[in-house]
Amino acid sequence: MKPEFLLAVVPLLLIGVLFQYMPLITRRGIYFSASVDPEFPRSEDGRRVLRSYRWQAALWTILACVLAALLVPQSPQYGVTFPVLLMVVGLVYSYWLKFREVHDRYGLRRPEVRETSLSPATEGEGIRFWVVVPPFLALAAAAFYLHAHWDQIPAQFPMHWGINGEPNRWANRDFLGVYGALLMGAVMNLLFLVFAWTLVHMSRKSIMLPVTLRMLEVLLYPLTLSFVTASLMPLVRVPLWIVPAVILAFSAGLFVWAYQKITAPVATGETPEPQNDSYWRAGMFYYNPGDPAIFVPKRVGIGYTMNFANKAAWFVLAGILLIALMPALMKGK
Amino acid sequence: MTLRIDLDSAVPAYRQIVDGLRILLVGGKLAPGSELPSVRRVAVDLGVHFNTVAEAYRTLAGEGWIDLRHGRGATVLRRDAPTVNAEKVTEFRQRLRALVAEMQSQGASAAKLSVELRQLAGELEV
Repeated sequence: MKPEFLLAVVPLLLIGVLFQYMPLITRRGIYFSASVDPEFPRSEDGRRVLRSYRWQAALWTILACVLAALLVPQSPQYGVTFPVLLMVVGLVYSYWLKFREVHDRYGLRRPEVRETSLSPATEGEGIRFWVVVPPFLALAAAAFYLHAHWDQIPAQFPMHWGINGEPNRWANRDFLGVYGALLMGAVMNLLFLVFAWTLVHMSRKSIMLPVTLRMLEVLLYPLTLSFVTASLMPLVRVPLWIVPAVILAFSAGLFVWAYQKITAPVATGETPEPQNDSYWRAGMFYYNPGDPAIFVPKRVGIGYTMNFANKAAWFVLAGILLIALMPALMKGK
Repeated sequence: MTLRIDLDSAVPAYRQIVDGLRILLVGGKLAPGSELPSVRRVAVDLGVHFNTVAEAYRTLAGEGWIDLRHGRGATVLRRDAPTVNAEKVTEFRQRLRALVAEMQSQGASAAKLSVELRQLAGELEV
């Protein structure tokens, strides 16, 4: 079996596994994004719906792998893109079918009762200064270290490595070459904080808010570690596997912690956000023109999604896409 | 202390916000000097348009309950009770009768409504 094919199959299988378990990553009283009786997922009908969805998800995964096997030998780059696209569209379609089935046959109509606190904000609802500052200090410390050892930095050094561990991009010993990774790290950290600030000020209070804020705060650490490590590479030899391993460990730990939080007994006492199911297109995309919130807690998964009826949400989405495409755009120049 | 509204209710959100806040103001639960959350905060939490909350705040400001300052939110004011005129009392009586009739038409017994009204009167006397 060719390594290119294996590399294409790994993300497909990961997406497949994620979608297999996705309907279970939700709050009590919600199933396939529809409002239901909290006991419904454990009922015979609830289990049957899940089994049927999982079969469909498995079929989409197999189909995408077969397509990858056919396309990757012809075009390694696009041979991955099309199967991933097909798989995601297929899985979203299957999820949508189940959302409709659960909503139409077993759904509950919860009254849309909303409340707001008139008391001063309590502690723990915002971003914790003492948690988010150390990553910035670490970036600054790395910059000082590089400045102090400037003469020891090679005139040209590797800055990017391929999947085979071999360097595939090089940088020069100039301001951007040496400090570029740290600057990018600072920008990424700031973006995380801007997102956290927006959540605090432009989303409703929910168990998801403190969970997401804590996740964003903690994620600054592996993110900073990766940029600091990358910037110190010309001076310090660090095994390449360490950064992905730390990021993976952090992400897995955070996911388990967040999952426990949103499904904990204290969280189950909280009524899931009383929204009409009809605001959720395909069970995943929130569209409510009457709601001024930009971000709303996800019905499936952990974190927040956007209110696609809000123009500001599209600006945020465009900004995220721009940042994501920035490296490719800069490379093209 | 929370303000709660029902978006499914036939009563407009603006009216529910004004009524809910006024109950807290009249009852002294929102004391003079206390700050109300910003219009944006209330609108996002309740899932209603910013203008709906702003209008509700303006109505209460017009009644002398709160002070609105641009960029500084809303502050509860110390308010001397105005003298109610006979016309207002008549209007109140008519609205109360209409409300009682509406409840009776929905099946509430006279005895049940009497208990509710007595309880409300008791709360006012405390």
